[in-house]
Amino acid sequence: MPGLLRLYDGQHMTTRVQRPRERIVEFVARPMAISFFFVFLALLWTFPLQKVIAYPFVFLFFGAIMCSAWFGGFIAGTMAVVMSSLAIDFFFVPPFYSMTVGREFRSYVAAFVICAIAITAVSSARKKSETAVKTARDELELRVQERTAELQRSNAEIMERERQLRELTEAIPQQIWRTDAGGGIEYCNRNLIDYLGKDALDLGRETFSSILHPEDAPLFNQHWEIARASGGKFEVEARVRGADGGYRWFLIRGNPQRSGDGEIVCWYGVHIDIEERQQAQQALLISQENLSRLSRTMSLAEMAASIAHELNQPLTALVVDSHACRRWLNSHPVNVERAVATTERIVRECTRASAVVSRVRSLFTRSEYVREATDINSLVRDLARVMREDAIRRNVSIKLRLAEGMPRLELDPVQIQQVLLNLSMNGMDAMAESKDARELEISSGMSASGEVMITVRDSGSGLDEQTRARIFEPFFTTKPSGTGMGLSICRSIIEAHAGRIWAEPLPRGAAFHFTLGSSA
Amino acid sequence: MTGRIDPGSPMQQTVYIVDDDPAICESLCDLIESAGLATREFASAEQFLARCTPEMAGCLVLDVRLPGMSGMELQSKLLKSGMPIPIIIMTAHGDIPMVRNALKAGAVEFLTKPFQDEELLAAIEEAFAFDRAQRTAKTLERSILDRWKTLSERERQVLELVTTGMLNKQIADRLNLSLVTVKLYRRQVMEKMQAESFADLVKMWERVKTPENQKL
Repeated sequence: MPGLLRLYDGQHMTTRVQRPRERIVEFVARPMAISFFFVFLALLWTFPLQKVIAYPFVFLFFGAIMCSAWFGGFIAGTMAVVMSSLAIDFFFVPPFYSMTVGREFRSYVAAFVICAIAITAVSSARKKSETAVKTARDELELRVQERTAELQRSNAEIMERERQLRELTEAIPQQIWRTDAGGGIEYCNRNLIDYLGKDALDLGRETFSSILHPEDAPLFNQHWEIARASGGKFEVEARVRGADGGYRWFLIRGNPQRSGDGEIVCWYGVHIDIEERQQAQQALLISQENLSRLSRTMSLAEMAASIAHELNQPLTALVVDSHACRRWLNSHPVNVERAVATTERIVRECTRASAVVSRVRSLFTRSEYVREATDINSLVRDLARVMREDAIRRNVSIKLRLAEGMPRLELDPVQIQQVLLNLSMNGMDAMAESKDARELEISSGMSASGEVMITVRDSGSGLDEQTRARIFEPFFTTKPSGTGMGLSICRSIIEAHAGRIWAEPLPRGAAFHFTLGSSA
Repeated sequence: MTGRIDPGSPMQQTVYIVDDDPAICESLCDLIESAGLATREFASAEQFLARCTPEMAGCLVLDVRLPGMSGMELQSKLLKSGMPIPIIIMTAHGDIPMVRNALKAGAVEFLTKPFQDEELLAAIEEAFAFDRAQRTAKTLERSILDRWKTLSERERQVLELVTTGMLNKQIADRLNLSLVTVKLYRRQVMEKMQAESFADLVKMWERVKTPENQKL
C-alpha cells in the first residue's frame, strides 16, 4: 500500500500544526475507504449470488466486515457494520429498496448486526494482537542485531587487548611461562622459546624437570612442592638448558593463579638471567677461598718458622757450648773449671729445648673432648650441601648413597665433618685434571664386622702403591701447595673415635674408607 | 772483656757479639774465649749503636733476628756512619736474597745456626785480618797526611805537579820560579815526607790525594 507508506513517512516529516489533519485521515478517511471498498465488493457479489442461494444472503458482508476490521482496524470494522446493515436493509431485506424492515425480518437483521459487531471486535482484536506480536518480533530482531554488533565490537576489542598483552609479554626481555596446575608447560614467550630452542608443541608434553640441570631439578621441584602446599609464590635459582645444550643460571619465580573458588588453576613464571651475577659470585668465592687457603698456608709456614726458631736457638747454643767444652778440655793445661761451667750450660740448654718441644705439642693438642649422639647420614647430607657450590664450580657431581637405619653414634660432629670435608676435597682435587665425568660418591653402610663405614670415592687420578703406603704420614703430600697434614689429621681424628681409615686404589680413581666404632 | 774502653789508646781486637738470646751470647763468649780472644756482648742493636766508637777494633758477630732494630738495619746504619768494623752475620733461616744483600753490604761471613766452631773461628780470624789491614792502611794514611801538613804552600804545589809526572823545567815555567828553586823545593818535599825515592813519594801521594783533595 504505497499510500499508507507515504502516510507513515509523512508522519515523520509533518510538524505539530499538521497533526489534527492526520488524525482525521487516520481515524476517519482511511477506515471509511477500507470499509467502503470491502462492503461495495460484497454488495457487487451478493447481487448475482442471491439468484443462486436463498435470500436474504448476507455472508459475503460478514467477510467484508471481517476484512475491514482486519485491515482497517476497529473503526473501519464498525463503519463496515453500519454500511453492511444499511446495504442489507436497503437491498436484500423486504421490502426491497427501502430502509424499513419488515416485521418478520427484524430479528434477522438484529442477529446480523450483533454477529457483525462480534466479528468486528474479534477480528480487530486479533489483528491488534497480531500486530503487537509482529512489532515485538521486529523489535526483538532489532535488539538482537544491536546486541550482535555490540558483541562483535567487544570481541574485537578483547582480541585487540589480548594481542597487545601478548606483544607486551613477547617484548619483555625476560623469559615467561605458564603451566597448568600440575606443572605441564602450556605457554612460553618468544624469549623462552628462543632460549630453549624448542617450539611450543614440543614443550606441551614436557615439565620443568626436563629443561633444568639434573642437579637443580630436585631442588626446584622441592620448592614448587612447598609453594603448592602453602599456596604461595616460590623462587629458586637453577640452571636451565639452552638451545646449544649449555646451561645458564636463572632465578626462577613462580606465582600461582587462582580461580574464583581459590583453587590454583595455573602458574605464571619468569626466568631472570643471573649467569653473570652467578659467575661474579663464584669468582668472588674462588678468590676468597684462595685468600683463605693462602692465609692458612701462610700461618702454617709462619708457625713452622717460629717453632724452628724456638728450637734452633737452644740447639745453636748447645752446639757452640759443646765445641767450647771440647776446646777447654783439649787446652794445655786442661781448663777443668771452664769445661764444667760449659757443661752446666749444656744441661740447661737441653732442658730448654725439651721445654720448647712439649710447649709445641700442647699447642696442637685439642683440650676439649666432645661426644654427641649423631646421625652420620645427616652429617653427610649437611656436608654435601656445604660443598654444593664448590662442586658445581669444579664441575663435579656429588652422589650420596646412604644406607637406611644406621645407628646413632657418639662422636664429635665437627671433627668427623672435617674428615669428610678433607676426603671430599682431596677427591675433587684428584679429579681436577680428569677429562671424564667427575663423580664424587659418599656412601654409608655397615662393614662386615658390624661397624659403621663411610666411603668417599672419586673418579680421579688414583693412587700408586707407594703413595697409598705413605699417604697418611705427616708432611707427605702429592700436591705442590699441600701441607701434608690433612690426611694425617684425619687419621688421628678417626683413631680418637676408635675407628680405622684406609685408602683403596680403584681401576679409575680411589676410595677412602673409614669406620667408626659404634660405641665410640 | 767488659767495661768502657779508653778511646785514646790503640785497642785490642775484640769480638763484639749482638744477640738477644743470653744463652747464645754466653756460649759464643765461652767458645771465643776458649780460642783466646776478647769478647763483648750486647743484647740489642740499639745497645751496640749507643756504645760503639770508630776506634773499636775487631769484628761484629750479629744475629739477624733481633728485637727492635734488626741485624740488617744495624749493618746498613754502621755502613752509612762510616764505621769500618767487619761483620759476621748469623741467621736461623738464611734465605738467598738476605745473604746476597748482606754480602753486598760488606759482611765478611754469613753463618747459619747452628754452626761448627771452626766455621765461626775461621770467620773471626778472617774478619780480624781484614780489620787489621784496614786499620794499618788508616794509620799509614794518617801519618802521610800529618807529614803533608808540615809542607808549605809552595812545597805542596810542587808536590802536586811533580807527582803528575811534570819535569822540573815545566814546573818552573808553570809556577814562575827558577829551575834551581824548584829543585830546592823538591828536595825539601822528599825530606819532609820522608820518602826514600821518587816512586815512594808518588805512592804516598796516590794514597792520600783523593780524600785530602776533596777536603781542601
